[in-house]
Amino acid sequence: MHILKRELKSNLKGLLIWSIAMIVLVVMMTTEYSAYDSNPEMADVLSSMPEAMLKAFSMENANLTTPSGFISLASFYFSVMLGVYGVLMGSGIISKEERDKTVEFFLTLPVSRVQVIWSKLWAAVILNTGLNLITVSSIIVTLWRYNLSQDFFSFLWKLFIGIWILQMIFLSMGMFLASFLKRYKSSGKISASLLMVLYVLNVITALNSKLDFLKYITPFKYFEANKILVNNTLEGKYIMLSIVIIFVGFGLTFILYPKRDLRL
Amino acid sequence: MFIIETNQLTKFYGKAKGIENVSLQVQEGEIFGFIGPNGAGKSTTIRTLMGLIFPTSGEAKIFGKDIISNGPQLRQEIGYLPSEVFYYDKMKVKDLLHYTAGFYKKDTKKRMNELVEIMELDTSRRIEDLSYGNKKKVGIVQGLLHSPKLIVLDEPTSGLDPLMQQKFFDIIKEEHRNGATVFFSSHILSEVQELCNRVAIIKDGSIIKTEDIKTLREDNYKKIFIKGKDLKLDQFNLQGLTRLILENNELRGFYKGDINQLTQLISQLNLKDVIIEQPTLEEIFMHYYK
Repeated sequence: MHILKRELKSNLKGLLIWSIAMIVLVVMMTTEYSAYDSNPEMADVLSSMPEAMLKAFSMENANLTTPSGFISLASFYFSVMLGVYGVLMGSGIISKEERDKTVEFFLTLPVSRVQVIWSKLWAAVILNTGLNLITVSSIIVTLWRYNLSQDFFSFLWKLFIGIWILQMIFLSMGMFLASFLKRYKSSGKISASLLMVLYVLNVITALNSKLDFLKYITPFKYFEANKILVNNTLEGKYIMLSIVIIFVGFGLTFILYPKRDLRL
Repeated sequence: MFIIETNQLTKFYGKAKGIENVSLQVQEGEIFGFIGPNGAGKSTTIRTLMGLIFPTSGEAKIFGKDIISNGPQLRQEIGYLPSEVFYYDKMKVKDLLHYTAGFYKKDTKKRMNELVEIMELDTSRRIEDLSYGNKKKVGIVQGLLHSPKLIVLDEPTSGLDPLMQQKFFDIIKEEHRNGATVFFSSHILSEVQELCNRVAIIKDGSIIKTEDIKTLREDNYKKIFIKGKDLKLDQFNLQGLTRLILENNELRGFYKGDINQLTQLISQLNLKDVIIEQPTLEEIFMHYYK
């Protein structure tokens, strides 16, 4: 509890900044939506675009003129932003003690490194969940005037549960990388690069059916908004796969970090 | 039972040697000095003892328990002051001290306030606004607020002005009187001389001597100074005389052996002045590092 409280407090400012960024993003997008809402001309514009391009951005099933369709199109911004938050949080929360040279103080206190990871993990999960909820809430608030349907909410919850799982995947990868990499200075950069590579893979996968197997490699493919829109469900096999990845990432953190030399 | 006991403790950073086969035994209630120049392996030894890094081979025990499997439990009774202190910049001093105190099972409030008062620490300031010396003071309070049974100091006086240094030594002496064992690493010999009962000298990662501080001084080395007329080096052909330097009819050097032989030799010379004295620890130390 002691460390958890301190972690939450020290990350509060970062969460506030991210929240403001997400709210601004949502407000900008939903303002744009006011032009599309129930406007048949917009649907035509979209259907006139090349199919490959629509696929690359997972837009092929979307209908810009309904709130669900619009959010499904915009969802990749949310996935990327929240994924970045997760991966940077994961690598930062572990490596910052070495970066700021506070390890020599912190880890010579009577705490075990396993306790430290538990507390930091809880803090990171709480903060990530917080940013996720703030994003959903701001979407609901800004779209409220369009008489949101039951189906819309059902879609939105599933979408953001999917994004939350994505955040957990990136969080666990970030923590793992910070525990594993020899140089704490690069762990943030490498974690963010990993996310970008996975995102690019996601785009490539959509363009070429021969690369279909990549859909298991990039988590951006696991819970795509347009699939949720059509099937109204998160696919079980991807939930299982996500759980495995998350457990492996956190598990390796718990194994590697307590055994390694700290960089002083 | 020894308070600290290391057995063939070895640490390599990849291929670079940190320490090799360091065996130390620190007894309860002593102030044990650990001296050597920068890079000799003092901090490596201490960081291994504190569980920040792991030994390549060998083992270490504190209070008779293995440091790796019992680290957190042992650290309840260890106070550690590193040579450079770093804390969370945005925190206020009092928040940091309370945060630290929260990790210990005993009530630390009384001792914390005492230490804050002695070190004249302004606890309402933020860490980032503190000077180096003031951060060090926070380190002293933070490291000692739980009245530890073992105090580990890694070059603790750097950055403290002489007045604070003296206050700090007084605190350490007081803790020692109350039963604490102190492991004191330093490259400044005068402070080791002032505080310690025993010292280990470390060089290039290995212990080259562990000795009572008294024995070390009485290591039979005498520092000699002779001033005379027409002195020549070959007049001093006595076994035990070392590192002789003759300049302007002034001879300086060290002697180890039967003092009567030396006085006999000197009595045959025509002298203006003679001084035979205890070398300082610094000079003994230089001898080991020659």
